[in-house]
Amino acid sequence: MANAVQDIQIRHLSRRFTRADGQTVTALDDLSVTIKAGEFVCLVGPSGCGKTTLLQMLAGLLRQSSGEIEAQGKPVLRPGPERGVVFQKDSVFPWMRVIDNVEYGLKCRGVSKGERRERALHYLERVGLMQVAQAWPKELSGGMLKRVAIATVFANGAEILMLDEPFGALDYVTRHQLHDVLLDLWLDGEGGRRRTVIFVTHDVDEALILADRILVFHSGRMVEDLAVTLPKPRSADDLVLPELVNHRHRLLQHMGLIRPAAAKPGQ
Amino acid sequence: MSLTTMPVRDGGARRVTRALRFDPMAWLGILLLLLVWELAACLLPPAILPAPLGVVRRLCSEFLSAPDLSYFGLANASLLGSMTYTAENVLLAMIVGAAFAIPLGLVTARQELIRAVIDPVMMTVGTVPILILAPFLLIWFGVGRASAVLLVTFYVIVVVYVAAQRAAENIAPVFEDYAATLGASPRAVLRDILIPATIPEILGGLRIALAGAWGLEAVSELLGAQQGIGKIIEVLAGATDAQGIMAALLLLGLVATVCDGCAAWAIHRLTRWKSSTPVAGA
Repeated sequence: MANAVQDIQIRHLSRRFTRADGQTVTALDDLSVTIKAGEFVCLVGPSGCGKTTLLQMLAGLLRQSSGEIEAQGKPVLRPGPERGVVFQKDSVFPWMRVIDNVEYGLKCRGVSKGERRERALHYLERVGLMQVAQAWPKELSGGMLKRVAIATVFANGAEILMLDEPFGALDYVTRHQLHDVLLDLWLDGEGGRRRTVIFVTHDVDEALILADRILVFHSGRMVEDLAVTLPKPRSADDLVLPELVNHRHRLLQHMGLIRPAAAKPGQ
Repeated sequence: MSLTTMPVRDGGARRVTRALRFDPMAWLGILLLLLVWELAACLLPPAILPAPLGVVRRLCSEFLSAPDLSYFGLANASLLGSMTYTAENVLLAMIVGAAFAIPLGLVTARQELIRAVIDPVMMTVGTVPILILAPFLLIWFGVGRASAVLLVTFYVIVVVYVAAQRAAENIAPVFEDYAATLGASPRAVLRDILIPATIPEILGGLRIALAGAWGLEAVSELLGAQQGIGKIIEVLAGATDAQGIMAALLLLGLVATVCDGCAAWAIHRLTRWKSSTPVAGA
């Protein structure tokens, strides 16, 4: 079913920065990994581990220092509508009404007025924002703005969706509501095909609820590649199931929150 | 879902409407000022401080034609004619200044090299009190329209240049990245992101420039011109006609206030999307 051409191939990818004091920092160090089409992958790691750098390179917003990225059979050189991004910061255009925001990418690519309106309204309904289609973004809460951004990338029809700590600034309840919204849209797919999702987070529980596969990063290197087999949708209740408990323990160890010795004191 | 019950805030719009509506307290302030003026006018001789009602009457009677003024050899011997001349100059200076300053400010915000050349020039012109230029402009261009318009144009350029430059710098980079990932071409980014995002700050700069332009235009007419409200004030000052000066000033003030109100209204209409209230949490 999954076609190898649709996969994302990352080979020996590195990115180095030169800091203001002249020192070279390696944000991502020789990464090679294949992300299968339709996979929901979470990139997890402490801040500064290289996960956002990787996402920016996949989006085409940042050039690699060496190595190559291939998405859908073509090298990634620049941003494109086949790779949608939900940014960490609010990116919804404040000078466009909600509906015009959702239509914007389609408009740029010359989709007819009627068709793009229909698509935009469909996805606004899916994220539960039908009633604010004509509102200005300033009238929306932070959680609603994220819904608009999600509706926009889905409406735009990207095969690959990248989300960079999208829900980090939201409260617990809103975050879990948005997990449901995102999983719902992803599980449905379009034309029977699921999209590839790459989701950056530092929240271990978020990764366990969402991901098919968790890639753990530390200091610019991928240190773990975990498969999560529990069927989706999952909820916060499922975090007590043995598979997720084991994964959680490993993830927290990688993040330096559990030291092997400290885990069982007195032994 | 809880979303349906969430009220849609529109605090920004309400606040602006409130600012445009006449506030009874503001009227009280103006009334108080008139009262003090009237009282002081009773105590002082009219040559020093004319009474407010007399000033208004003078403004009305000399609005369309002022035979008194024609003795001074003025071309437009009426307050309306002089005010029109002044307003034309201000408008001309605003248009020329904006046409220069907006593109220049936007380009320098993105092009470091051009900025390195232009910025010091603008900063120098901006630091020197612009009225100092008036004598030079009078030597070069004479007492016609050109010197006054040029002086005001310089001022408009400095103010609007800084506003446009800052506007372009203040756009969060995420908007351009987001547009690019949605499939927008560089041209679409310019049309749909850079221009709408900078409009509020540029309009704000234009409004500030307009407010200052009236005074500069009048003073530059005062220093050397053949027409205009400033010229009227100059000849009336020579004749120690305090009432006439007050009438001219009142007209200038009224026109400037009305123009500022129109500018504020236009800005409000064009930037309805802009949040004037702090963004609430999730």
